[in-house]
Amino acid sequence: MPEAAGIKVERLSRVFPPNVIALRSVNLEIKPGEFFVILGPSGSGKTTLLRIIAGLEVPTEGRVVIGGKVVVDAEEGIYVEPKDRDIGMVFQNWALYPHMTAYDNIAFPLRIKKLPKEEIDRRVRSVAEALGISELLDRKPTHMSGGQQQRVAVARALVKQPKVLLLDEPFSNLDARIRVSAREFVKELQRKLGITTILVTHDQADAFAVGDRVAVLRNGVIQQVGTPDELYDEPVNVFVANFIGDPPMNIVKVVSNHEVIKSLGLTDLVKGNEYVYVGIRPDEAVASSNSVDTHLSGEVVLIEHAGSRRYARVRTDVGLTLKVLADEGLVEGGRAYVRIKKMHLFSEGGSRITTLKL
Amino acid sequence: MGRTSKVKLLSKAKPGLTGLIRSPIKWLIVNVVAWVIGVLWILPFVGLFMTSVRPFGEVAVYGWWSIHPFTFTLKNYYNALFNPMFSLAKGFINSLIIAVPSTIIPVILAALAAYAFARFSFPIKNYLFIMMLFLMAVPQQMTIIPIFFMLNNMHLLNTYLGLILVHSSWGIPWITFFLRNYFSLLPKELEEIARVDGASNREIFFRIVLPVSLPGIISAAVLQFAWVWNDFFFALMLIYDPNKMVITQMLPRLKGQYQVDWGLLSAGSILAMSVPILVYVLLNKYYITGFRGWAMKR
Amino acid sequence: MSRRDYVSRKLMAKVGGPLLSRITFLIPGLILVFTFVVYPVVATILLSFNINPIIGVNVVGNRPIGFINYYRILTNFEFINTYGLRTLSFPMGAIIHNIIWIAIHLPLTVIIGLLLAVMLQNVRGGFIIRSLIFLGMVVPMIVGGLLIEYSFDKFLGVVNIFLRLIGLGFLAKSWTIYPNTALFALILGSVWLWTGFTLTLYSAGIASLPKEVIEAAIIDGAGFWTILRKVIIPLLKPVTVTVVAMTILWDLKIFDIVYASTRGGPGGASMVLALLMYSYFARAQDYATSAAVATILTLITIPVVVVWMRMTLKGVSE
Repeated sequence: MPEAAGIKVERLSRVFPPNVIALRSVNLEIKPGEFFVILGPSGSGKTTLLRIIAGLEVPTEGRVVIGGKVVVDAEEGIYVEPKDRDIGMVFQNWALYPHMTAYDNIAFPLRIKKLPKEEIDRRVRSVAEALGISELLDRKPTHMSGGQQQRVAVARALVKQPKVLLLDEPFSNLDARIRVSAREFVKELQRKLGITTILVTHDQADAFAVGDRVAVLRNGVIQQVGTPDELYDEPVNVFVANFIGDPPMNIVKVVSNHEVIKSLGLTDLVKGNEYVYVGIRPDEAVASSNSVDTHLSGEVVLIEHAGSRRYARVRTDVGLTLKVLADEGLVEGGRAYVRIKKMHLFSEGGSRITTLKL
Repeated sequence: MGRTSKVKLLSKAKPGLTGLIRSPIKWLIVNVVAWVIGVLWILPFVGLFMTSVRPFGEVAVYGWWSIHPFTFTLKNYYNALFNPMFSLAKGFINSLIIAVPSTIIPVILAALAAYAFARFSFPIKNYLFIMMLFLMAVPQQMTIIPIFFMLNNMHLLNTYLGLILVHSSWGIPWITFFLRNYFSLLPKELEEIARVDGASNREIFFRIVLPVSLPGIISAAVLQFAWVWNDFFFALMLIYDPNKMVITQMLPRLKGQYQVDWGLLSAGSILAMSVPILVYVLLNKYYITGFRGWAMKR
Repeated sequence: MSRRDYVSRKLMAKVGGPLLSRITFLIPGLILVFTFVVYPVVATILLSFNINPIIGVNVVGNRPIGFINYYRILTNFEFINTYGLRTLSFPMGAIIHNIIWIAIHLPLTVIIGLLLAVMLQNVRGGFIIRSLIFLGMVVPMIVGGLLIEYSFDKFLGVVNIFLRLIGLGFLAKSWTIYPNTALFALILGSVWLWTGFTLTLYSAGIASLPKEVIEAAIIDGAGFWTILRKVIIPLLKPVTVTVVAMTILWDLKIFDIVYASTRGGPGGASMVLALLMYSYFARAQDYATSAAVATILTLITIPVVVVWMRMTLKGVSE
């Protein structure tokens, strides 16, 4: 594999007339060999961002640099075609050429480059081998499962040994069952090849499974960039806090002079806000029937099962309703005592004020 | 009508507008009427065919519908095909010589142009497209006089090439319109990924778009072929040599000055329409979808 | 905002590849079209005003440039015959004949096509019947003309056979050789030929109608004719627009059918505009006047096309 390339996105903006702002001054720096995830809900502009990096769209402002080379610059009027950007791409629905076999699909970029036949054959077979699809080479896309098609699409993207790999929601079209193994597969592959990879998704589980670093995008604006752990533990605002993590963080709006605030001695911190948001992850609080060393008490409204864990929805006496981990022995309708391990405080505007470990 | 047959009729009735015809008796009447209409509708063809396979002398006296006396003969076809002045056998071949290139050339050129209109941005694009639209409505009479003199200057009058060029050019506007609509409905992904794969516009078009759009291309080709084969006016104006005349041209010339030999004419007509009907039957799907697609939208 | 938009548009265009590559797609087609279609159209217009359109060819003779050819046509009895109009006898002039053609052919083919389309929805093997009716559109129009002539033949024609069968035998004659019936024979024959077109389009339109609306009407207790008038026909308005436009254009341009059967006769009783143009070209060798007839014909088609485009592009679902 050639030397991996870093990617710089500078002041990137994209406006769709008449006044739809898809991207607003996005700045990113993606390190060589990194597995970078762009995460955001639909309409956040993440696909537009990826397509601009790929060269399928152009920005209204700003520029993109791949491997030190400027590939697009709105102000200078520079535009380098996708084929000269040394990139490979996989679309959400694979976009395999339906009239060609898997072999021909994968060989296509090489045939365009007019490489000798033996070289093409060698590379196609080695890539197919690496992706475990060697037996599928003679099949046409209609005779393949979703997972198989995806691998062929990845093979096609990688066969020309690009510096950058772009993936647009690659797991959305897969069954939930194979999604997990697909993520692992892609992560493994990326680690082995060391190729700079950008993955766009709306599923935060994807981001966690594969990302070295994640950028959270909302309405065209980058909210936060960091490792998955950083996003989980130190979300920069309510949106990120709520978007990351499953089950989602409990976010409750309380008035600034609420009991909870006062009892935790946070009155100074919340000064200047009429009300604040309290954020507690369900996995960072436990409800049990033991009242020792707990912060809140209340009534168990609902018990939910999630695989190996149980969650309890507790209506506390101070008025907050929280979903927290449920100890054994807790029953619906019963009394519960909640011990909070970690709590975030967000200002009126949504940005994080502080995080408390209790 | 018995109970069981009523139930059978109801269950056989198709959904959709069937709800409008609620009584099985009405449904039966409608079916019978429809089939009667269908049969009556093709009677002129039947009459023509009957006239062509019987000696006209017999037909003129007893009518083409008479069963007795009935002499079956292919003499009319023979006379038509090997007519000394206007041999339809030659006309047949001439029509092919004209129609095939006049289909291939415009379909390819129009497909290229249609793709550009569907996918690319370029100067004066909208004006060019509107121009194409208007050209589709212009009658053949509007172009033929200058074409006549132009071809004469180029020594292409009364030549196959001249007529082929005229037909090809004439077909390009409507085929471009037709295929542009078709291409714009193709999902862009295949072309985009091909772009990332490194393909140039030319490669994308010939290796990806064309194979995937084959049904649309074939529809356009089928319609263009039928149109050129059926054409009379351009051939009439631009071809004089009886050896080069197309089959449609020859038909009116088979009419005598004073008397019409319908035996000859009917055989000739059947020969002339055999090819378009064959195309219609064999490639029916493409013919019909092409027809609808062109006469509908935008 | 505007400067940024402009940069973006040029940049956006580049996504489709270099300009030369994009334009190359158009060039071969445009060359042919400009040479053999656009230029001839312009040249014909020039010619109609007695301007020589082709270098080196004196097509016009010594006529003055101007509207003289138009004047001559418009006052020519072959174009419009006031005597025929006054006495309601044929010939009435080419343009009148075309107008009559539209007046009879258009309503008949539209109505019959629509009714047949509705009827054939529920019929076993309806598509076979549709195909049979469509045959008229498949065959060359020259053959169509011959078929019509034959069908109206006094003895052998199916029309006259039918007339005799239903007791109207006194009407039986070879319609195409009498001035007062020639045009009507051709028009009725063209209805027989063209209905396949209206039928096909209406069938497609009906098949794509939302069934729930019709079913709702049925539940509301509406009868067949009511549903037809109040639900189906309004919903089919876009199809009707196209059908009407295409039919009018076809009726205006009619040539082959007339040439095959009557050549415009007898005595000009079935002359139509396109044939008139041909007549000036081939018989009189009066190219400039022929060009003028062609131009008049095209001028008449333009409003039809414009209205059709406007209505289709705007979306007729008002």
